[in-house]
Amino acid sequence: MTRAGLLSPRNLALYLAALALLVFTTFPFLWMASTAFKVSNEIFATPPTLWPRSFTLANLERLFAETRFLTYFLNSLKVSLATVALTLLVSTPAAYSLTRYRFAGREAVAATVLFAYMFAPIMIIIPFYVMMRFVGLNNTHFGLVLAYSAFCLPFALWMLRTFFQSIPVDIEDAAMIDGASRRQVVRLIVLPLALPGVVATGIFTFILAWNDYIFARVLLSADELKTLPVGIADLYNASVVDWGMIMAAGLLVIAPVLAVFVFIQKYMVAGLASGGVKG
Amino acid sequence: MAMIASADAPAGSRPSFRLSEATTGWLLLLPALALLLALTLYPVLYGAWLSLFAKHSFFPEQNWVGLGNYVYVVQDGEFWASVWRGTVYSVTTIALQIGLGVAAALVLNEMFPGRNILRAIVIFPYVVPTVVAVILWKWLLNSQFGLINYMLEDVGIVDRPISWMGRDWIMVSLILVSVWQFFPFVVIGVLARLQSIPNELYEAATVDGAGAWQRFRHVTLPQLKSVLFVIVLLRSIWMFTKFDTPWLMIQGGGAETYIRTLPVYTYMRTFALYEAGKGAAMAILMFLILAAASAIYFRVWKREENL
Repeated sequence: MTRAGLLSPRNLALYLAALALLVFTTFPFLWMASTAFKVSNEIFATPPTLWPRSFTLANLERLFAETRFLTYFLNSLKVSLATVALTLLVSTPAAYSLTRYRFAGREAVAATVLFAYMFAPIMIIIPFYVMMRFVGLNNTHFGLVLAYSAFCLPFALWMLRTFFQSIPVDIEDAAMIDGASRRQVVRLIVLPLALPGVVATGIFTFILAWNDYIFARVLLSADELKTLPVGIADLYNASVVDWGMIMAAGLLVIAPVLAVFVFIQKYMVAGLASGGVKG
Repeated sequence: MAMIASADAPAGSRPSFRLSEATTGWLLLLPALALLLALTLYPVLYGAWLSLFAKHSFFPEQNWVGLGNYVYVVQDGEFWASVWRGTVYSVTTIALQIGLGVAAALVLNEMFPGRNILRAIVIFPYVVPTVVAVILWKWLLNSQFGLINYMLEDVGIVDRPISWMGRDWIMVSLILVSVWQFFPFVVIGVLARLQSIPNELYEAATVDGAGAWQRFRHVTLPQLKSVLFVIVLLRSIWMFTKFDTPWLMIQGGGAETYIRTLPVYTYMRTFALYEAGKGAAMAILMFLILAAASAIYFRVWKREENL
């Protein structure tokens, strides 16, 4: 872009479009944050204030004092981390197998994975619920972790497969010619090279588990077991909607997502482009 | 890999404790495959089986009714109404997502200060929990205290507050929230593709005297065709089966019947009316509708390709 071209009509239009995009995507979040720090008079004031004049932490305090927000938060954290662990543990070797070993049926397995990727939760939730009740895993976090892992597995496998495919097999072959065992190759070459992919897949899995509503809604009934999305939906369903508190809750729910997001947005784009995350 | 195969080739030269390539391959795959079969594919088949029974959602008793649930469902006017609402919802949101997503991707493909940050920010609505997307829009769209009604009245576009969760507007509100939430998916896919279009194509077109619109129409669009095919397919499947966004929209007061799409109706059959058999039948019909629609879509696409 030349200096003279900076303010050409074409570039002005471009900046305007970019600004519109910025406002459209971020304003709802900013408004949520602004509401979360206002006292209730100001929340309902006309005309509304963009920036909280009455900056207060009362909404956050109420959230922790009057609701089980902290319990829900810890439940969500526990379930999401366990899901990431289980999903990566089973999908990493599987994805490696799909890219490095030749055997009959390999393509059929890959096709099955892609097919399973198409299934939406609503299509399996009913039989899933009946099964979980039958084996007594409804109303347990373990049942929920199993549900999430099964749900995340297809995209995790697909994404990891893409990452493994991008690591040249020649490097591994060369190492083995030099006398390294397959195990050493995996540990010293493949895993370090695939690490960004594994991390990105783990983060997507975390986000899926962290964001899910339907599995948690159906599988959990005890209040002390609820995860954040269900807990917040129930807060909202209370007879009088406490907007300040709800917005504070929303802000805290997206905080971990925002945090990982800032660190890994480079992988996010790569991962999403290779078919990660459904919804 | 070629090296292992050749090293293993002479019979008997392989140490006895080493597993064959195929066995190792399957062993590494086994845990993932078991989980997938037990918790995704088995439930699908079990759902098909359940759909043949009159089954209460909580109690274990079940009575064989054969295709009785299907007969009931296809005669249920509300079922078809929910299919129609779901279709309206999917088609509208997908068209808007594609339009907005492609436009945003074109902007983000240009050079301007702050572009990389904006690329990251745009993805954000897609990665926050649906419940957050819904409550923050419900707050913005609140009929009494919402910012949007305030601005509309202030500017003078409307003289009375719009009841966004009321019968006339709730579908519009739902579509707005859904487009906001899901258009980043289109941006990501299209942007990745845009970046891989060779610059020479544009240079050649410019040399041939093509303007901006002609370059878009004759260079960019044809290149985007295949990625848009996949995006439309995936988004159609996911919008038609979208449960949480419409469901959460009607929580805490919303004109429920006007956005009762097929997934919402299926859920209500099962977890509000406790008719798991009928719910399962509806889930299977949902699958069949999607399979049929995808088959037609693939056909039309193939014909287009051959032209």
